[in-house]
Amino acid sequence: MIKVNQLLKTVPTADGDLTILRGVNLEIAAGASAAIVGASGSGKSTLLGLLAGMDVASAGEIWLDGECLSTLNEDERARLRAEKIGFVFQSFQLLPALTAKENVMLPLELAGVPDAGGIAERFLAEVGLESRLEHYPTTLSGGEQQRVAIARAFAREPRILFADEPTGNLDTRTGERVIDLLFDLNDRASTTLVLVTHDERLAERCDDRFAMTAGELSGP
Amino acid sequence: MRQALTWKLLAREWRSGELGILLLALVLAVSVVVGVSSFVTRLQSALLSESARFLAADMVVVSRTPLPAQWLAEAGQMGLLSSEGVGFPSMVVADVDHMALVSIKAVSAGYPLRGALQWSAEPYGVLRSGGAIPQSGEVWLAPRLFALLDVGLGDEVIVGETSLTVSGAVRSEPDATTAVFGFGPRLLMNTADIEATGVVQPGSRVEYRLLLGGASNAITEFTEWVTPQLEQGQRLDSVEGSQPGIATTLERAQGFLLLAGSLAVVLAAAAITLASRRFAERHTQYVAILKSLGAQSHEIAQLDGRSLFWMGFAGTVIGCGIGWGLQELFIRLLGALLPVEPGAAGWQPALIGAVTAGVCLVFFAWPPLRRLGQASPLRVLRADIGVADVQRFRDFLLGGVSIIALMWWYSGSALVTAAVITGLGVVIGLGFLAARLLLSGGRSVGGFAGSIWRVALAGLQRRGRANALQMVIFAMAIMLMLLLSVVRSSLIGQWQSQLPADAPNHFLLNLAPEERPSLEGFFDNHDIASETLYPMTRGRVVSVNEAELPKWQEVEAEGAPRQREANFTWSDQLPRGNVLLAGDWWPADSEVPWVSVEEDFAEDIGAKVGDRLAVRIGADTLEVTVRSIRSVDWQSMRPNFFMVFPRAVLERFPGMYMTSFRLLPEQKPLLNQLVSVLPTVTVIELDIVIKEMRSVVDQVARALELVLAVILMAGGLVLISGVRSSLDGRLRESALLRALGARRGLVLGALWIEFLVLGGLAGALASVGAEVAAWGLQTQVFEMTWAPTPLMWCLGPLAGAVIVGALGVWSCRRVVRVPPIVLLREV
Repeated sequence: MIKVNQLLKTVPTADGDLTILRGVNLEIAAGASAAIVGASGSGKSTLLGLLAGMDVASAGEIWLDGECLSTLNEDERARLRAEKIGFVFQSFQLLPALTAKENVMLPLELAGVPDAGGIAERFLAEVGLESRLEHYPTTLSGGEQQRVAIARAFAREPRILFADEPTGNLDTRTGERVIDLLFDLNDRASTTLVLVTHDERLAERCDDRFAMTAGELSGP
Repeated sequence: MRQALTWKLLAREWRSGELGILLLALVLAVSVVVGVSSFVTRLQSALLSESARFLAADMVVVSRTPLPAQWLAEAGQMGLLSSEGVGFPSMVVADVDHMALVSIKAVSAGYPLRGALQWSAEPYGVLRSGGAIPQSGEVWLAPRLFALLDVGLGDEVIVGETSLTVSGAVRSEPDATTAVFGFGPRLLMNTADIEATGVVQPGSRVEYRLLLGGASNAITEFTEWVTPQLEQGQRLDSVEGSQPGIATTLERAQGFLLLAGSLAVVLAAAAITLASRRFAERHTQYVAILKSLGAQSHEIAQLDGRSLFWMGFAGTVIGCGIGWGLQELFIRLLGALLPVEPGAAGWQPALIGAVTAGVCLVFFAWPPLRRLGQASPLRVLRADIGVADVQRFRDFLLGGVSIIALMWWYSGSALVTAAVITGLGVVIGLGFLAARLLLSGGRSVGGFAGSIWRVALAGLQRRGRANALQMVIFAMAIMLMLLLSVVRSSLIGQWQSQLPADAPNHFLLNLAPEERPSLEGFFDNHDIASETLYPMTRGRVVSVNEAELPKWQEVEAEGAPRQREANFTWSDQLPRGNVLLAGDWWPADSEVPWVSVEEDFAEDIGAKVGDRLAVRIGADTLEVTVRSIRSVDWQSMRPNFFMVFPRAVLERFPGMYMTSFRLLPEQKPLLNQLVSVLPTVTVIELDIVIKEMRSVVDQVARALELVLAVILMAGGLVLISGVRSSLDGRLRESALLRALGARRGLVLGALWIEFLVLGGLAGALASVGAEVAAWGLQTQVFEMTWAPTPLMWCLGPLAGAVIVGALGVWSCRRVVRVPPIVLLREV
């Protein structure tokens, strides 16, 4: 499902080019779950951004569900995201002006899926927020916001789900509930799940575990 | 992206309030532009009608000989209304003991075509107007003629060879100031009786007037048709040239109103720029999320493009509606003062509003939004990824050029546009320089300052670029407000100084030297204030430096030197209100044949300081040398002279005296006594003219105040938008400071200092820019004298600091009212 060959990412700085990823290789099978762990600044989020087609690599190849990202332009990568990829972010990234339901409807509407409202309601019910459909993000707790984000990510029934520190902004108990939910939905939908985290307990629940150290990936 | 989804997203964005701010800016901009421009258009039409009133027509053909009947017929064929009139001075006799020199005006049906003729059944009775003129066989007399001739209603008076019945009193004629036939009081009669009087003979001093009224294109057509046929002694009087004093007033008022409209355009652009900048900044995260969810750049651009289009449409429609309401309100407020119903504003103001909105959206709002479509979706993962410059130099340049074009189109004056743009250029240039100095200097000062100052100066520096832009926009708004206030004050001041409350309102001519004591005694007895008595001699300049000047009619080229006849006087000092432009004044009691010449007169005869002139007075020729050139204030209502000589030089020539004096309305009957004491003098009554001029000035001044108020409001709104544009960053930082334990006083104090410094600097810059623009406008556009405005230099920085400081702290007040955690979550 996901295959990465010799991925390199450098960014220009005032002191010359800074290498963030140094020849990363990675392979994750369809329907599997993988965790990428590492300290802050090790390059985990950069890798995630590249895998999701939100950034462009300096060298190397990324294959996603049979498509080579490095041959796609920005709009083609956006289409790929719309069709195949779901996202859960550390800071939730809900649109404050939209209700919980509208936030979940948004990717469905962008993809032209009919009955976006009905689907959104169903997924919000699955994450236990059926009574919060018309609430705005600022009136929801952190855990509730992340559940809305999870509902949004799964509503499009993506082939691949990327989660960037999904429990990073939550307390332990809420974090655990959110993770249970994430894995539960993932199992039912047979989605390929890629998690970036520094939470070892979370990493242990995944099929594969990769460690990122100073731009180099090791494992599983 | 499908249309339905666009609408849905648009509706959701609207709910977020960000679009609302942009729409509000747009609505305000369009309302102000449409409001001011339709008010100006309607006011211009009213002022034009007001000018036409002074002519009693839209155009008058004036002739010393009877006008060809064909002209009247042609005017009728062109769809013009017409009315004929004849004017001449003559004696009117009631009986052997009562006779007077009067200024006769004969009018025909239809008179006046513009304005109203006011009359009353008795000398000082109830005023009437509307349609009536003296019937054939009747006359209307000026009120004081009733006493002078000792006649009443129904009595007969003799004009020339015919006897006419007194049937009313003429109280005011719209064209009293332009149709002066001799200096006596008015006698109004019907043109049908002219022939019977036998007074009008070939060679007599008669003025024939053909009044014309109608559509401006018909007037133009007639003008073009008749101009080649005009002979010597025939001329066309149009609205523009009818009353120099009033025309200048109206011209300057129009210039001011157009200036105000142009400033409205600039302020509108500034408000929209600020609002769209804030919109783009707050929109970045939204775009990044949409892109992370799979939206493509062109879809986002389409969404934003449609949003802008519909916003522009809605903003223009709502703005036009509000603007129309605004001008209607102005017209009502001013209604009682307007002499005539103002014309319709037409579609032009709405068009200007729509174009302003379009230009602002296309050049200021669209570029940053278009670029947002290219924002990296990576921002959802990494908040530290900077926002691409929301506005670039090229956008500002293109926008600036389009605004200049818009101002030019709107004001129709390159000079007005250039003056304002120069002022704005000074503000922008100095503004960025000052920002640079302040921001680099602030750090070293901040190091030694107390904690409030340190926080404030750090804040100023951290948002250096945004602060520089904000300061320049504050400065521009304050500059435009100061500029309009200064120009308004100097215009109104100038008008009022032209017509001071105690200005003389009567001229007295033809006073023999031996009659001086009688006149002075009369003035003393009746407590009448008068100017100095000036001796007056008539003469003609025949040569300059021995080169003989051609006679008036021999010169064809415009502006070529020629002989001119003029009134001369002598004086040992520079007459009051005159200004020496070249040379100097002669010593008192000088017997040297010097002369001081008025500037236009000097130009006509082609003379300069040091030239020798030959002046013919009666049969004598006097050789004199030009000692100085003077400017004269012709609107001062004081006796003014083209040529002034030393007393010893002119005294030996026979001459009469003249003066001007002020009569209160209740003293008016004293004129009859004066004329009976001094029967040979001529009195020119200017009180009606002055009253008319003062009423015009009052109306125009009131209109200017209203327009100024709207522009000040628009400027205030730009200041509010400016403060709001940086609100998020300030709120976030202040909330952080509070979360870190900063006291309320420190947070508020730092905000006060930051905004006071920005506002004070903006005010100082604004004063410089306003002074530069005011100089340009006053000297180049309004043709007034310029003087620096020290008050503005104090007021600008002070007002800037206070207004921006108060607005800024008021906008950020939530930072000390709401728990910091709530704020941090919101922003």
